[in-house]
Amino acid sequence: MAENPNCPLCGRSLTPEPCGQNAQVTVTGSAMAGLQKSFFIKARDFIHAGEASIQVQNILKSLQLEPRFIRRVAVCSYEGEMNVVMHGADGTLSIDIGPDGLVLEVTDPGPGIANVEQAMQMGFSTASDELREMGFGAGMGLPNMKKNSDGIIVDSAPGKGARVRMTFHFREGSEGR
Amino acid sequence: MRSLSPSTHYVRFQESRCTGCAACLRVCPTKAIRIRQRRSIRIVTQCIGCGACILACPAGAVSAATRRPDAIGSSGVAIALVSPVLYAQFPGVMPGAVLHGLRQMGFHHTVDMSFFLEMFKFASDEFIRRNRSTALAPWPLISPVCPVVVRLIAHRFPSLIPHVLPVLRPAALMAREVRERIIPRHAGKGIAATLYYINPCPTMGEPLSSEAPGLIPTEAAIAINDIYPELKRRIESNIDSDLTAFSETHFDFEICSTGDAAFSAMSGGEIANLETEKTLAVHGLEETIAYLHKIEMGRLTDIEYIEFRTCREGCIGGVLTAVDKYVAKRNVQRMVNVFGLGRRLTREAILHLYDRGRFQPDKNPVVLTHLFGARRPALSLEDLERIEETLEVIAGRDCGACGAPDCLTFAEDIVRGEADLKECIWLHARNIRRDMGRPPSEPKD
Repeated sequence: MAENPNCPLCGRSLTPEPCGQNAQVTVTGSAMAGLQKSFFIKARDFIHAGEASIQVQNILKSLQLEPRFIRRVAVCSYEGEMNVVMHGADGTLSIDIGPDGLVLEVTDPGPGIANVEQAMQMGFSTASDELREMGFGAGMGLPNMKKNSDGIIVDSAPGKGARVRMTFHFREGSEGR
Repeated sequence: MRSLSPSTHYVRFQESRCTGCAACLRVCPTKAIRIRQRRSIRIVTQCIGCGACILACPAGAVSAATRRPDAIGSSGVAIALVSPVLYAQFPGVMPGAVLHGLRQMGFHHTVDMSFFLEMFKFASDEFIRRNRSTALAPWPLISPVCPVVVRLIAHRFPSLIPHVLPVLRPAALMAREVRERIIPRHAGKGIAATLYYINPCPTMGEPLSSEAPGLIPTEAAIAINDIYPELKRRIESNIDSDLTAFSETHFDFEICSTGDAAFSAMSGGEIANLETEKTLAVHGLEETIAYLHKIEMGRLTDIEYIEFRTCREGCIGGVLTAVDKYVAKRNVQRMVNVFGLGRRLTREAILHLYDRGRFQPDKNPVVLTHLFGARRPALSLEDLERIEETLEVIAGRDCGACGAPDCLTFAEDIVRGEADLKECIWLHARNIRRDMGRPPSEPKD
């Protein structure tokens, strides 16, 4: 991503090789260049929560990407955005679309994730009772992102903010363009 | 510009009445409207028949593409398919009396929707129950009843098409019954029949009965507010007479109505009495769009069925109704008090039909996308970049003076070669200031 291409923990570039410290690593695609856009996410603003994700969806819809592909990205961007709204500080949702696929990145400088491995477990949640009453906190956020993306890197440490980077590949035949 | 026209399948535009005020411009949920030469004009393939521009126009220049109720029954047999919303227009009047009034106006048959609503509910119950184990469709299922919602999904939320409940909606079941049971009686004598769907929304793009397999008879939609004045006069003049004229009907579904049917005219009526309680009823265009976004983003999966109506308060808030929606709501509540809720058909009878595939829509979702999904060509990544650049040049305020609903749409039109940057007054104002040697400060908001 244009404004901050480095891992907040080790300072090295996130692609192609992530730092591996406290991070869940799967394959990312080759470096992609194309349309880049960032959207602001306001922490604790439940009224406008989801707006950034809707903007991302609108872009993908105007490209008329395959509906199932859009759905996968939509689920991931929403989960990522909600994580920032619920747990983080004001952050950004960025998208980078290239010829082979796209990269979605959710960043915030908030309290960070104490144990990424635990956070990746289905059903694990640190959400407050207040958030649970609002229907959140099922512990499905990161697992859902992992399930719906082709690759996910979570870089975070307590007090150091969080950066979740997801890749999505256009597949031959299925992403009718 | 291709496919631009003042009128669409669903709305009719009277140019002489249009003042070019642009009140319609921003209400369109699919951004189908533009102002050109001070007149409102539409991208035909993007109109979904929601009626928002009809409501918004202060000059009455936009109306529904329904048929005027003149000369009904003058040739052939006229069959009225009646939306329960019609009953809600007449406080204290029994549905039977409303149908009687219609027959006096020249309709040979008047078909009530209540039986078909029951069938639809049984079939929906059945699909939902089986879907818990077969998982044929993703949760939440979306009601297929409001045609504007289905078109909205095809246009703006194609990834949600698998969520639409694959059961024929009540109006289509009603049209099929008429086609199978009433029309053959007259066709045998060489008399042609026309189906008139008396309804509150400008949704009749294509014939109702085309949703079910088989021959399609002539169909027309009549707006409730067009038929209201004469019907009201007939009903009032009948008040003191006994309605012995019921003997003129041939089928039980020509007169019968129920509390369930009355209730279905308002939001929440469709999910009332469903077996599942994991339901929601959402109404209003903006709310519908907001909830479709939520479903697309993977929320609401703990809900099994969602009733969507793009009109406020449900169909009683339809654009083509005659009385205020809150008055109609009170009338519905009265009817529910009188009739009570509950079904008359048995599950076994409907299950038998269900297993014979009598509730399956003819058109699968893929066909549906092609039907309604005649979208403008896809943009390329380069197009999107040019749109971004154009937006920076414009630096406008979504004022709409260019004739597009917002700057983003304007920029898209420019990139598509369908609009000219010169139309932007913000850019124009900055150019004037520059020519006058003043700093390019922004005009005040």
